[in-house]
Amino acid sequence: MPDQAQRTRPVAPGPSGGGEGPSAPKVDKPNVEELLKRMRKVDPDQAKRYRQRTGQ
Amino acid sequence: MIQFGLETEFGITSDHDGEVDVVAESIALVRSATEPGVWMCWDYESEDPHVDMRGFRVRELRQDTDEAKYFAQDAERELSFVEIKSDLVLGNGARFYNDHAHPEYCTPECRTLAELVAHDRAGERILMACAQHLSDKRQRAVRLYKNNTDFFGHSYGCHENFLLPRALPWEILAQGMQAFLVTRQIFAGTGKFAIEAEDKFLSPGFQISQRSDFFSELQSVDTMQRRPLINTRDEPHANPKSFRRFHVILGDANMSPFATRLKVGTTALALEALVLDPKRSYPKLADPLSALTAISRDPAFRWETLLDGGSRTTAVSIQREYLAAAKAVCDLTMPEKRQLVADWELVLDDLETDFMKCRDRLDWVAKLSLVREFQAAQKVPDDDPWLQSLDLEYHRLDRTEGLYYGLEHAHSFQGVPEESTVRAAVKHPPSTRAYVRGRCIQKFASAVISAQWDHITLQGTHGPIRISLMDLFAPGDVAEYARVIDAARSPDDLRIIGNVAS
Repeated sequence: MPDQAQRTRPVAPGPSGGGEGPSAPKVDKPNVEELLKRMRKVDPDQAKRYRQRTGQ
Repeated sequence: MIQFGLETEFGITSDHDGEVDVVAESIALVRSATEPGVWMCWDYESEDPHVDMRGFRVRELRQDTDEAKYFAQDAERELSFVEIKSDLVLGNGARFYNDHAHPEYCTPECRTLAELVAHDRAGERILMACAQHLSDKRQRAVRLYKNNTDFFGHSYGCHENFLLPRALPWEILAQGMQAFLVTRQIFAGTGKFAIEAEDKFLSPGFQISQRSDFFSELQSVDTMQRRPLINTRDEPHANPKSFRRFHVILGDANMSPFATRLKVGTTALALEALVLDPKRSYPKLADPLSALTAISRDPAFRWETLLDGGSRTTAVSIQREYLAAAKAVCDLTMPEKRQLVADWELVLDDLETDFMKCRDRLDWVAKLSLVREFQAAQKVPDDDPWLQSLDLEYHRLDRTEGLYYGLEHAHSFQGVPEESTVRAAVKHPPSTRAYVRGRCIQKFASAVISAQWDHITLQGTHGPIRISLMDLFAPGDVAEYARVIDAARSPDDLRIIGNVAS
């Protein structure tokens, strides 16, 4: 049985916009190369240490 | 005209060995503020969160069960209630304080969406300045997050407030807004790489809303535990004979200003339509609480749901019914409202045909798109906890480090206000009754004895001068009060608009 993440993964858009999934985006894709490099430096465990108390 | 404001609780942590005391951190953060304001003068005497819109008063509010383990720690704090709260009322009319365990920024009351977005961002700038100041002082980093969860089932809110005429019956208001609030997450959600319940992480997985896991009642006065879709707190912060405050607690804290504008603006339009045409019929969901989580977690992003009576529809279709009502009923002569309606319609069209088109406007789409691209490049599986760390990083307030801000700097978002507008909102109040509060603080801070949303009291030569803001909503009245305050050379000059206590 697939886990929740696999089940919630969106269908990849096809180049022609066909199929069951959403069609290819028509907005310009942002250049996120630098951002992807920054993401590699994000501590994979930081969320494990991030503990808050319940608020409103 | 409906006025509105936002109150946002932020997540806080710091580089620290061992567990971070978030209450101490939150208090220290607020006390690091350098913006001019008045400290610890908030008037708690006139607040009563126990009064219910349905005509009764509850004896006590529910506290989160997980809070019991912090009881000993909290009991040891050698601070009074007022010192723990550390309220600061600012010259821009906003309130900034420690709400229990989170720094909270409440925007001043706004009349336009442009004002609201600028003041929401002004709050981010003020909090970041505090974090920088505190980090420099301690030589260790303090980090802030504008999000709604710690991924362990501890949620904190971004509440919206809408001032409405009391004449609109509560039952019509609550029933009419239910389907709207359950379905607006399709554009107002910020996205989350986790499935949670109260005090629990359940599983990995993406959903479109951060908050939707945390609601289990249809209506109630509570906000911390067993939270309701419709909050019934009857605390108008205005003349209770004329007004009620609709307190929306299920929204996510948006990073995208476009999404903030759409969330608050469409809600205000739906409310305006209800006020103007209370007999109009709106969709009724078969099971609103189940629909909230089902829509948020729908892996296909089709957001199908059942109506009362058994027919099937979609969240987009329900939103289109509210859009149609707004077009038919609301006064759309203001250009800002016409633009809002056009943006609402286009977002619904795009969500229906190709949701990825919305990544330049909506938080959940931008986050999902960015993280999926990273996963593909780095071959990160869907159950890797790294995804929660990246999710958290999207909401980091630091403009040089946070992933949302990285996207914004890459010109990936529409609707970002000019930075000069945001800087102005840090200093100056909007054109509502908040102008009275803000200008009194700017000019006579040392004379302010107490402040609340509905009054401000200053010390005059012959006794306290209380300026009531309970009915100050008409633009002409605000302008008259503004003229008096702008001309005043001492608090005594404010007696024209205030009452002197004997």
